[in-house]
Amino acid sequence: MNTGLHIGIAAGALLIPTALTGTWVASASARLEEAKATPSDEAQVAVAAAADEGYCSADLKKVLRRVLQSCGLLSNGEVRGCQPLEAKNVATVAGGDFNALFAPLADRAGIIQFDKESAELDPGDAALLEQLFADQRGASYFFVVARSSPEGSEVYNRDLSQKRGEAVLGHLKTKFNDPDLDKELGLLWLGEEVQQLDEEFCSWQRSGGTEACQPQDLNRSAFVAWIDCRL
Amino acid sequence: MRFSPYTILFIVAAAAGLFFAGFSTHDFVEHLDRQVHSIHCSFIPGLDTPDVSGASGCHVTMMSPYSSVFRSVLWGGLPVSLPGMAVFAFLLFRGVDLLVNRGSDERGPRVFLLAASTLPLLTSLVFGYISLVELDAACKLCIGIYSSSVVCFVAALLELRAASQPRLGADIGLVGDDVPAGFGDMRGHAMSFGQGVGFVVAPALVYLLVMPDYAGYVGTCGSLTKPEDQYGVMVPLGPTNAGGADTIEVFDPLCPACKGFEARLSASGLDGQMSRRAVMFPLDNTCNWMVGSAVHPGACTVSEAVLCAEPGKADAVVAWAFEHQTEIREATKADPGAASTMVLAAFPEMKSCLGSAAVKSKLNKSLRWAVTNQLAVLTPQLYVNGVKLCDEDTDLGMEYALTRLLENQGAATKVKGGTQ
Repeated sequence: MNTGLHIGIAAGALLIPTALTGTWVASASARLEEAKATPSDEAQVAVAAAADEGYCSADLKKVLRRVLQSCGLLSNGEVRGCQPLEAKNVATVAGGDFNALFAPLADRAGIIQFDKESAELDPGDAALLEQLFADQRGASYFFVVARSSPEGSEVYNRDLSQKRGEAVLGHLKTKFNDPDLDKELGLLWLGEEVQQLDEEFCSWQRSGGTEACQPQDLNRSAFVAWIDCRL
Repeated sequence: MRFSPYTILFIVAAAAGLFFAGFSTHDFVEHLDRQVHSIHCSFIPGLDTPDVSGASGCHVTMMSPYSSVFRSVLWGGLPVSLPGMAVFAFLLFRGVDLLVNRGSDERGPRVFLLAASTLPLLTSLVFGYISLVELDAACKLCIGIYSSSVVCFVAALLELRAASQPRLGADIGLVGDDVPAGFGDMRGHAMSFGQGVGFVVAPALVYLLVMPDYAGYVGTCGSLTKPEDQYGVMVPLGPTNAGGADTIEVFDPLCPACKGFEARLSASGLDGQMSRRAVMFPLDNTCNWMVGSAVHPGACTVSEAVLCAEPGKADAVVAWAFEHQTEIREATKADPGAASTMVLAAFPEMKSCLGSAAVKSKLNKSLRWAVTNQLAVLTPQLYVNGVKLCDEDTDLGMEYALTRLLENQGAATKVKGGTQ
């Protein structure tokens, strides 16, 4: 055996794994240092956020904020609800505003229809309400707009619509025990005075039967919808 | 110099082993920069396009707890392919030395060659078993290493047999019969063994000396601003450990990375130091508005199933989901209702819960918990006492980083407790 040759072959063979390892690890180490020195690409990863759908235009958000604030939703986190006078005068919820607010929500909203002179949810009403509320997705605000049909006095109808709104709120509280409910919910009761629903809404999701779609049927109701906008 | 075909075969096999083990080590070492890299997973590495999907058998094998040792003290650990590469380099040296520098009738070096070839052969048998049975992954680079090991052993065996045959020259007295002893040459074998050890130690030492220091990265990737489970949506996960570090995992039951993470966590034994709860975060736009498409189709339904599970039963649902991840995702891609059918076939007791308004609301609250904490839209994420395990440390560096995070958080908790 030629010892010199033996050592030479050994050195050559040993150099392969040793040099390669040193080069690769040094290269990784340099890249690590470089990454540390340059700004992180963490921003490329999306951050979890509430939904802000395309229909949330600046105008719609303005209306939304106005209604929410006027109903006490954003001021202290408690819901006191908007009475018709406030809804009309303070939040200026005129027809145009309302249409702008709810028109894009045809597939998100529902109309919980009550019996005449009643503020009680029947099983069909409760089922639709639960189904709509459970389908929150990324929405931040849940609107409940209670109404009554024009029969009877204004005061009676105002009280009745308030009871209907509160029945919806009570059912949601009982069923879902959601700690955020008060922060998410905008509750308005409009009695018979403001922006009654017309037959256009017959095609929306409703708890009333197909035959119960006269304006008076539609307005013995609570209109509910999640709104997928960030304010 | 005698050009024995077996020695040449041995040299070729050792070079092939060095080649495959080299690519495997290279792919592993690339990840020491804590970034995501493509991986060579081919019988002709370097010529084929590297795999970027993260779904190849080589990726599964590399990310498994079996790809390296000393993981809790070194970031990523010492890759087992590195000593593998060194052993093949050693065999290459011995083969070339035998070919060009030894007499054709020396038995001792051939005996040692056979003995040395036994090491990669046995290692290949063990790792081949792990790969097929434990990991259920076909790693082409590994198969290249296993094949090279087998060929080396067979070639060394044949070379020894050929050298042991009585030669015509000896029979007729043309060659002297002073053939050196084979098994009896213990001093020579000991020296050769020492050489082999040197071949393994040298690159390993270089690896350790050049390796960066990762200690400064642990615990620097943010924390939860509101870790409280105000919605009651967190699900206990893994072993129950009273007094374990309070750990929250942001989790998608159909996410392959979550499955791999769970396997590494379980193999590391570190889950025994945690009291872990999962927040469901399915990357599926059926329920998660934060993703544009169903990254993991069916994940919303399976997440509902986890939330529907009776107390203490969520682990069974998660284990089932991990086992059937690919089937569920593929089936749901073809039929959106498939996930629900599969869940109910496995867990019929969930019929009244799965898809109900209550569980959908609960899942939504899980997602909103992520919104409240402004988390990145990815899974898995692990928070120990509210401090995040860096995303870069959820695979190879998990054991190293998590060990330190648990130590740091444990120490912080003790200090906090002591001052109260």
